[in-house]
Parts: sequence; structure tokens; C-alpha cells
Amino acid sequence: MSNRPANIGSTLLRPDALLKVKGEARFSTDFYEKGHVWAGVKRAGRPHAILKNIDYSEAIKLPGVIAVLTHKDVGGTNRQGVIKKDQPVLVEDRIRHCGDAVAIVLSDTRRSMEEAIRAIKLEVEPLPAVTDPRLSLKDDAALVHEKNEDRNILLGGAITVGKGRAAEAECDEIIEATFETQRQEHAYLETENGWARLDDQGRLEIVCSTQTPFRDRSEIAEALGLDLKNVRIIVPYVGGAFGGKDGITVQTLLALSAMHAAGRPVKMWWSREESFIASVKRHPSILRYRLGAKRDGTLHFLDVDITMDTGPYDHLGGVVLALAMEHSGGPYRIPNGVVDGRCVYTNNPISGAFRGFGVTQVSSGIERAMDLLAVKIGMDPLELRLKNALRAGDRNFVGKTLTTSTGITECLETLASHPLWTQRSFWKRNAGILKKRGVGISAIVHGSGYGPIVPDYANAKIELTGEGKFRVYCGVVDMGQGNSTANVQIVSSILNQPANDIELVLPDTERTLPSGSASASRCTYTFGNALISAAKIMKERLCRKAADLMMKKDPQEFSTTPITIRHLPTGSEIPLKVIANMMDSSERIVTAYFRAPVAEDLVTGDYNLRLHGMPHNLFSYAANLACVELDEITGKVTVENYATASDCGNVLNPQLYEQQIQGGAIQGLGLALYEDFVAVEGHVTTKDFSTYLTPTSMDAPDIESIAMGIYETTGPFGSKGIGEIATNGPLPAIANAIFDATGHMLEKSPITPESVLTALTEISKE
Amino acid sequence: MIVSFELNGKDVHVETSSDRRAVDLLREDLGLAGTKESCGNGDCGACSILVDDKARLSCLTLAAQLQGRKVVTIEGVCGEDGRLHPVQKAFIESGALQCGYCTPGMVIAVIDLLNSNPSPSRNEIREAISGNLCRCGAYQKILDAVEEVVKDSKKEAS
Amino acid sequence: MSHALVPTKLEELWAYIAENPEAMLCAGGTDLLVKIRSRSVTPDCLICLERLDDLKGVRFEAGEIIIGALTTHRELLHDPIVQRDLSILASAVQNLGSPPIRNMGTLGGNIVTASPAGDTLAPLYILKARLKIRSKESSRSVPIESFILGPGKVDLRAGEILSEIAINQDSRFTVNHFEKVGRRNALACSVVSMAALMNIAEDNTISEIRLAWGSVGPTIMRFGDVERLLEGRQLTVRGIEDAIRKVQQSVSPIADTRASADYRRDVAGRLLLRLLSYASSR
Repeated sequence: MSNRPANIGSTLLRPDALLKVKGEARFSTDFYEKGHVWAGVKRAGRPHAILKNIDYSEAIKLPGVIAVLTHKDVGGTNRQGVIKKDQPVLVEDRIRHCGDAVAIVLSDTRRSMEEAIRAIKLEVEPLPAVTDPRLSLKDDAALVHEKNEDRNILLGGAITVGKGRAAEAECDEIIEATFETQRQEHAYLETENGWARLDDQGRLEIVCSTQTPFRDRSEIAEALGLDLKNVRIIVPYVGGAFGGKDGITVQTLLALSAMHAAGRPVKMWWSREESFIASVKRHPSILRYRLGAKRDGTLHFLDVDITMDTGPYDHLGGVVLALAMEHSGGPYRIPNGVVDGRCVYTNNPISGAFRGFGVTQVSSGIERAMDLLAVKIGMDPLELRLKNALRAGDRNFVGKTLTTSTGITECLETLASHPLWTQRSFWKRNAGILKKRGVGISAIVHGSGYGPIVPDYANAKIELTGEGKFRVYCGVVDMGQGNSTANVQIVSSILNQPANDIELVLPDTERTLPSGSASASRCTYTFGNALISAAKIMKERLCRKAADLMMKKDPQEFSTTPITIRHLPTGSEIPLKVIANMMDSSERIVTAYFRAPVAEDLVTGDYNLRLHGMPHNLFSYAANLACVELDEITGKVTVENYATASDCGNVLNPQLYEQQIQGGAIQGLGLALYEDFVAVEGHVTTKDFSTYLTPTSMDAPDIESIAMGIYETTGPFGSKGIGEIATNGPLPAIANAIFDATGHMLEKSPITPESVLTALTEISKE
Repeated sequence: MIVSFELNGKDVHVETSSDRRAVDLLREDLGLAGTKESCGNGDCGACSILVDDKARLSCLTLAAQLQGRKVVTIEGVCGEDGRLHPVQKAFIESGALQCGYCTPGMVIAVIDLLNSNPSPSRNEIREAISGNLCRCGAYQKILDAVEEVVKDSKKEAS
Repeated sequence: MSHALVPTKLEELWAYIAENPEAMLCAGGTDLLVKIRSRSVTPDCLICLERLDDLKGVRFEAGEIIIGALTTHRELLHDPIVQRDLSILASAVQNLGSPPIRNMGTLGGNIVTASPAGDTLAPLYILKARLKIRSKESSRSVPIESFILGPGKVDLRAGEILSEIAINQDSRFTVNHFEKVGRRNALACSVVSMAALMNIAEDNTISEIRLAWGSVGPTIMRFGDVERLLEGRQLTVRGIEDAIRKVQQSVSPIADTRASADYRRDVAGRLLLRLLSYASSR
């Protein structure tokens, strides 16, 4: 941290880093107290069944066990969910996936809690499990929710663009391919956990690892039948989230536990295995693409069909589908076509929010389709992309006119002149014995914010303390991505105060103000804009106060300096501490509100699609390049080089920017090559980190992250979202590189050595 | 049993069951929650501690195994005067962390590396932290950070 | 589990075993403690062996290399004898688990765990390792292939421990090759592995070869007929292609989350192709 005021555009070291390297940063896992209670969950363990009886007679007798809770102990609706409240806190009569919570055990020790959970016996009547989303759509499929309007469809929709299917006949070339993407687990190192206590006034205080404290508070209150005022959520440091903590994990279960713990604090901390079974995943998808162009490479027609497996509950599945549909045409002008999508209930693990949020899936579709088309037309894949790249003022595939900065052309041009691209033929020729090399690219667009209807707002709050320092109340969670550092930077630079004098208050529903979720690449955009306003108001207020005190007419002649306010023409100054002491506590607090601008375009008449976010108004862009080497003996893929050129607006903090790009790319690399969360007939077979494989340091190449730095006029200091864009690039870039090396487009991910070996042996046969 | 060992430079004697996991003993009984647990199976390295100067997984270590040993957790990495260890300093400056949950284990792994190999290559660093998963994908900056430590120590030596 | 014991001397160990005949022995714990956590084994008592210094270290004795069973993988990697004379074992250990796993896990532990994917096993099979088994009263010595009976099954009777691994340096090989195919580059369980010791004659024919595969059968697999077929053959694609086929016919892999049986079968044979890189360039 710095004892100087921060500059926008230069690296300010993360203020949280000091505590984190010393092991002193307190996460919600780190709360213990003598005599606290352990709470644990009995999981259903079968994918679909009628729950007839929960026999906990043995469990309750075990020494140390305090209580066993079931749905009968839930006072409210017993339902949770973000858009559609279709998930029970504790199952009443119907089990819909193996990870369903059925009962809670409260115990004095973790050991006895675990023993009691094992001792609970479930009496069930098995039902046929729907585990293939294609079969789930059939008329004879068992229904996951009997009362759902549209059988097993959570959300479906279609959009016709231009002439629709009629344009197909006008194309000179058409390619068709069906891609399948897998289920991906977030695998944050800090599994879901929390710490809760009910005080003698009936107020619940919950410390937990979440992206959404304010929304959680409402969900808990409604599900358990509590008064909102009596629920407080505090979010300390969060050990990674990536979308997986966007919504309820332990919160409701923990709150219910605390209500039965006689005032003792309660700890709930899911094991890795429980986290894997119970938490949400990235939606597996089936993407049929038909992409048509004129002979000269002008894109003319796209027909996309998207099926997503959302598991048994909405979570954010409908929103994921809508974002996937919106981005299905990539960053290109495509005047005609159709996109048809559906999000389907199954008895598989729950799918929900995951960094990339549907865009990851369709990006892998459109970008592989582009390379297939390039080969068919006989055009360089980068040139084909440049030819069709969206520019400001164009309509994107779903018909939204682009009014914000649109830098995909600049990104692609940067790659076009990059040595990894210009020297690729030479590099490929130098593959070793029994190795083959290929180079592939991908072009990505990613919208940010909540779309046209759900308000994307933030409330910033800054306090001048009695010590004359500034305290920033962060309404949006920082789960590691560094937005709280950006907050310090914004306030420090506007108020001209040493960065290490700025105190941060992490999200707390009683101290900070509602500011939406830490998601959708919106944190710094939305909260940052609110914070800029707050900081400017604060500055103006202090200058006015100083002008009054010094009996000067023009507050404009004053400026804040580190620890003082100075009258610039005379150089005389008043310490901030003095000013602070002359102000009432209410005067020392400034709040400001910002609501993100939204698209006015009515791209669809389907209100439901609009409610679920279509279309967006602000987009980040990126072009990515992967150089891969394939081993002809084993089919092993090594990513030798990876470069990205991204348009995320003006970069506030280069180090944070690089962290986001590198980290997003490594998660995308995991999706491309390693990670596959497998459920066989609804039962998870990748139960732990030895079978669910995320990239290690030996698998992650160094990532080159070039920033275009294009100023976005609506953004805080010209910036746009960086959180998700990088995750979407690797799968299509790597698949295209393998296509380049082998002539075979792999349509399923993860790309296994086995599928590569098959592609390689097919070439040798040809 | 009473387990006696040196913990971050101080002798401790603690009454516990011999089969208590070291990670629970440290976090719950001794109040040192800097050591993190993430998988419980030795697959992630988050719970790494130094035992007799070598990195060990505290989730796969039992209290009885600590008897008489010298244990250093992340809380004991700073110098006695509270000064940051060069590895900690470099992690901060290079931005070698995001959420920070893997960081204590990473720092321990790097200290173990530098104890036995004071001037590792980038590939040797890569290998040395390969038992520590970082889901935020901070690996590249961790490598940068360790390279900085090596560079600085060479400068000091010359 | 209710208690853990950590003997420092063999006499203490024998006494603990006598008092706790049902106890399980822990030689590093990187596998056993994982099994205990998942409750696939539920011992009442665990005897941790890591302080038995008599069972550690690498030395020469009567023309043999003797490795104490409690030598950790890290110690093996740093040992000059292992580096010089057992480089095939060193390269297997280099790829085993991860640094902290190598700091804790031991060679004896890897053998007694008897996983078909145990990284050190294929090299030990072709190094013709003999295992010294001791109890309080007696000791015996068995070749590794008769000690390992099946996945997780070894010929260890009540009261016995694996104390030492003996490797006779009867023949020297110019090629010491080990390859592990995993799904990632660290913290990976082997999908297939192959160990090879080979001598090549001046005319580029294989004069002597020993081969072993991991993860393609219930235990490490060796095929005498493949070795006989290869001896005298040119080290060229054509020279080894029927051996590749024979390996593919002989292995008996299973499918799991990491790979299909077909892939394992295919790659087990194809790994022989890697030996071509040792061919003389003439």
C-alpha cells in the first residue's frame, strides 16, 4: 500500500494483500469460539425420489447431538431461488437431486455431527431420474417439477433476426456443427461456510462467504418467515467464488440452525465433497450451429439452437440461457438468422452462475463455427473475423445497436500484428519428433450488468472519520477480484488522500448500502460510478466547509491535500481532523446512487427474455491466441503460448487487470482441457480434487495480457468490466489450434488426450 | 495425550487426542486460523505447514506426529520484529494473490523451496508450487514474485 | 480411529504391534489417511512409522543398493546413489503426486499401497527389486512381483512390516526410461505408465530390454514375450510395431473418470514409440 494518493491507471498494490500473506485475513471459515455448535447437512444421496420419512431416532440419541431439524422446523416458505423460487431449504416430500438438503444436525463436535448425519435413515420411493437434457424434453420424460408450466422447460425462447431462415438460401457457403460443453465446478478453495448467532432480541447475525449479502438477507427472511430487520449478513474476506456464491449456499440452513442453538454460535462448513455435490455448476450445453456466408466471407445467416441442463432448480439458469442466446452470434455483424434456446430441468447437479455465464458456452460454439467456415471459404480465420467484426453503431446479432465502446477490431488487429501470429508458420514447422503444432484464435464479446429491466444499481457511502480520514463502505463483495482495491484507488485519487489512509468496510447489511451482486462484470462499473459521485460530493462539501471557516467566498479555490484542505491562492490550510471535529456525524457521511444505463432497443417482444436480461448495453471484447503442441503418442495437449488483447475500457489498475485476465484464462484453460464434473445417472463420480482436475502451476502457461485501453465514456474513469471476458477465450482458441494442427474440429469439451489422439490417428490414416 | 512441540518459535504443550488432525489442532485449539483447509485429502496444499523446515500437509498429519517437532505456520513466517519475510513482501508487490485462500500454503511451499534451492529457475518454481492449487489462477504472478526474491537475494549477495 | 502411536525404535514398534494387533501401519499417510477420512478403512489404532530411522536412507551393501522402506520420495530424489544408479526410479518419483506428497510419502508406503497406478512400482519391477519383510521374530525376502498380489493386496502377514528394498545391480542399462501419462502435469494419478531399461547395440538393434506398465491391469504388467520379441529388433517404427500390437493385446485396463479402457490399451502400446528417441542417429 502506498502513503501517496493513488493514480488512476497505475498499479496500487492491493490493500488486502498484507493481511493475506500474513495469514491474518479473516475468512468466514476462521470463526471459532469455545462452546460453539457444529451444524451439518444430511444430503439426499439419490437423484429423484419421493421422500416418505426421515428417521433420525438413532441420530438424536448420539452423545453431543443437540437437535435434528427437518422441513417441519422451517417457519417460512421453505423456498429459495433468485428468479424462480423453486428450491426447498429442506426437502418436504420430493428429492430432486443427490445434493438436496434433507435434514440438519446440530452437535457439540464435528465428529459427533458427522456420525449423526450417517445415522439418519431416509425412507424413499425412487422415481425415474431425468439426467439427459435431450430426453428431459420428450413427452414421456418424468417431470422434475410437476407444477411447472412447460413440463421440464425452465425457460425457453426464440428470436428471429432479419429475414430469419429465409436468408439461408442466399448463402454461398454454410457450415453446420453441434458442440457439447461440459459441467464445470467452480472449485473455489474456500468451500461454502458460515457462522451464525441468534441474540436474545431475536436477531440473527450471519457471517458467510457470499457474493450477494443483501439478496441473501431477503431470501433467508422469506424462506424462514423472519422479519428482514432481524437478519444481518456480514461478508469478510471471501476465498474465491466465481459465480458459485451468487446466491444461497449455507445461509438459510445456517440461519435455521442458529434459531435452534439456544444462542450459541453455530458453524457450518461444507467439506470439499459436500461442496461438490451440493453447489451449483456451469451449465452443460448442447449447441447446434449453422453459419452461412457469402463467397467473400461476409456473414449472412446464423441458426443457433441451444439446450442447457439446469439441473433441478432455477438458481440463475434462465438468466444464463438469455445471456447465451444474446451472445450466440459473437462479436459479428450477422444480419439474418434465428436463435432458439431452452433451459431444461433434470435431476443432475444444479447449474447456475459461473464466471462467463452462458457466454462461455456459446463463444465456444460461434468461434469454432467461424474457423470451420474460414476453412470452407478458404479464408484466413483472423481476416474472416476482422471482416465481420462489430463496430460502434452496428447492430449485434440479436439486433441491439451498439452505443458504447466497441473495440473488437482493435483487439483483432493487435493479434494480427503479434509475432505469435505473424511467425506462426515458422513456429509450427519446428515441432519436435512425434509432435504436431497448431495456432488458433478466438474473438469474444461479453455484456455486463443485469439487462434492461432488473435495476443494476449501487449505493456508495464514504465517511470522514473523527480522525480526519476516510472510510469507504463497500456494498459489493470482493471475493478476490480486487474491486475493493479499485474503490480505494477511486477515493484516494479524487480526495487526494494517501491510499493507506483509506479504510475499507467490507459488506455488511447493517453498515454498507445495498449495491447488488458481485457478478456480471459489473462491480467496479456500477459501484465505481456511485463511488465517484460520493467522493466528489464529499470533496465539494469539505471545500465548502473550509471556505466558510476561512471566510473565503469561493469553495472552488479549495482543494483537498493529504490530511488537509488548502486554499490554493493563499496556501493556508485546515487539517481534515479539525474540519471533521466541527462537523456533525451525519454531515461526515456522503452517499451516492448510480444506476447503470440500459438498452432502449426492444430486440424481442418476449418480456420473459427481457426480464432475464436481454439485451445488454455495455460490452467488453477480447481476441485470444493459443499456440498448442500435441503429442502424437498420447494425444496430450500443451498450450505453449497464450496471448490476449482485450477491450475492457481504460485500465484503472494494471496489476488487477492482469490478475483478472490471467485468472480468467486459466479457468478457461481448465474448461478446455481438464475439468469435467461428471454425474452418472445423477450421481457425482468426480467427488474430489483427485478426480476433478483444475490446472496446477505446471499446466498453466504464462498469459500475455494486452489492454487496448479504449476509453468508455459511461464507465468510471473510462473503464468496463474485466471479470469474465478472459474465461471465454481458451476453449475455442485451443480447439481452433487443434483444428489447425490436425484438420479435425473437436466438438466436445473438455478436449481429452483421447479425443486428440483419435484426431491425430485419423490424419495418419488419411 | 499432551503433545509438545515448537510452534512458531515457542514451545507449546497441548492436551489433545493423538489422532487429532494437525490442521484442526492449529486452527481450532491453538487459534492459528491462517493455515487453511480446502480438500482434506492432500490434493490442494492449502493446509501446508513447515515441519522441521519441510512443507507438510497438515490435513494428513496427526497430532502425535508433531511431538518434538519444529512447526512453522504462516503466522510464524514473519521475522521476530514483525518484519515481513522476503517471500511475503514479494507476493504483495507482484500481486501474487487474489482471494488469498491458497496464499498461506503457497508461501510455505516457496519458503521450503528457497531453503533447499536458493536460486531456482522459473520451471523449478513452477514445480515447487505444483502441489498448491490456486483457483484464481495467480500462478504467473507467484512465479514472478519468487523470481523477484531470487533476484534480490543475488543482489544482496554480490 | 481412537489413537495414533509414533514409535522411534523397532523394539517399540514390535511392542505397539503386539498391544494393538488390529492397528494399521502408516508410512507417510498420504494414501492411508485419505482412506480413513472417507471411511473406506476404519482402524482403531494407527502406528506411524516415520521416526524409525533404522528404516531410512539409501546405502550399498554386498553389491546391492538397499533402500530403507521409510525413505521419503524427496529423500530419494536428493540421494546421490539414486540419482546415479537408479535414475529410472528417480524419474518416476519426480512425477509422483506433488512436492508436499513427496515430502511425506515413502517408497515403502507406495509399495504396500499396491495401487496399479503406484508410480514407483513399474521401475521397481524391472529393477527386480527384492523386498525385505521383517517381524519381531523373523525376516524374509521376496521379489516385488510376488509381494504384490492385487490392487491394494500384498503378502504381508500379521506382525510383519516391509523394512527394506534391495536392488541388485547385476546388469547396467544405457537407457533408463520412465513415462507417466496423467491428465495433468502435477497432482496426477497415472492413466498409463511405462518403465523401460534398455541396451542398444551399435547397429541400432535392441540388445536387451525390460519393460513394465502401470495402470493397465490389476498390478504392474510385464510381458516376457514382448521383451523377447523386441530383443534383436531394430529400434525403428517398423522394428517395434508388432510389439506395440502385442502390448495392446496383452494389457487388461479398466475405464474410470480419468480415461477409457481403450485409450489406456492404445497408449500402453504406443508408449514404446518414445523409445525411438534413443535410437542412434546414424
